[in-house]
Amino acid sequence: MAKPSKTAATLIILGISVVAIIGIKTYIDNSRGTPVAAASARVKGPANAPAQIVEYIDFQCPACTYGAKYLSEFAKKYPSIVRLEMKYFPLTMHRHAFAAAQYAECAARQDKFWAVHDGLVNRQEQWKDLTDAKPAFEEIAKDAGLNSQKLQRCLADESILEHIKNDKGEGKTLGVQSTPTYFINGEMFVGPQSLITQLNKFLKGEDN
Amino acid sequence: MKIINIFVLIRVGLASIFIVSGFEKLTGPYQNFLYVIEGYDIFPRLLELFTAHTIPWVEFFIGIFLFLGLWTIWALRGFLLMVTVFIVIVSQAILRQLPITECGCFGELMSFPLHIVLLFDSCLFLLTAGLILKMDQSTSLSLDKYFSSK
Repeated sequence: MAKPSKTAATLIILGISVVAIIGIKTYIDNSRGTPVAAASARVKGPANAPAQIVEYIDFQCPACTYGAKYLSEFAKKYPSIVRLEMKYFPLTMHRHAFAAAQYAECAARQDKFWAVHDGLVNRQEQWKDLTDAKPAFEEIAKDAGLNSQKLQRCLADESILEHIKNDKGEGKTLGVQSTPTYFINGEMFVGPQSLITQLNKFLKGEDN
Repeated sequence: MKIINIFVLIRVGLASIFIVSGFEKLTGPYQNFLYVIEGYDIFPRLLELFTAHTIPWVEFFIGIFLFLGLWTIWALRGFLLMVTVFIVIVSQAILRQLPITECGCFGELMSFPLHIVLLFDSCLFLLTAGLILKMDQSTSLSLDKYFSSK
């Protein structure tokens, strides 16, 4: 058999690689699915809002705080545009992120998720570098008006841990790798900059 | 007994890094890599988007060609150029104290401080430069050798 030319070999390798990558990507994308609806306590905004956002948050991530503050201001200014659902994605590199998510989920069980969410986000600088962040979380919970006994029982509840792990597992299945990751009307956006760009498009009416 | 050619091992090792890195970015959502690029805060928006879509392909093909030893010198030059750009970008991020590893931008398993990334990239630079200087040994067990043999 004649030896193929170097150029022919190059083209064959390029072709096979491109087809393989596109095939694998298509397969993975098709098996990703979409975020499952969160509990109503972790949802805010009108059901018919044009921007349906699902956010995967790590309460210890500074970019999440930036994004959360931006979203909060945006929702105050344009209350009919955004409906926000929260999901937990505590990164293992952040030692207080999982505990923060536990407090947030326990607050959700008392219908006070957003008060604790705002407390965690707004006071992140005060607790993120602490060796023991529990007193800071307790204070946030107290300020949010959580029932202390119910909170302690909830924090010891294994199902809360499972719930947070399930949210994170779902995020990983969807391709979430870092935080904050937003799904706006099903489309993925990572980081506050992409969120801001996209929300500005809604204001201009491009995505209505 | 034939001695294992260390240059071929290094070539395959470097190639594997780029193949895995490119493959992971190409098969995952491009938005994750876009967030990494945004974190370095050096490109305008359109260039960030362009880079997020093109760099993974470049990485992947340089890796494939290096692995197979096809157009090896060009693959090595491409590798060296990419690593040099990475070093410059990481260095400016260190100087500007950008909080890049804070939010899992490299994925949870890759949350290294920037100076470790810089050290790693510098090692890659030296190894690649070494391969270029020893091209004859580096192209052992390569398609280039196969095609150049009559």
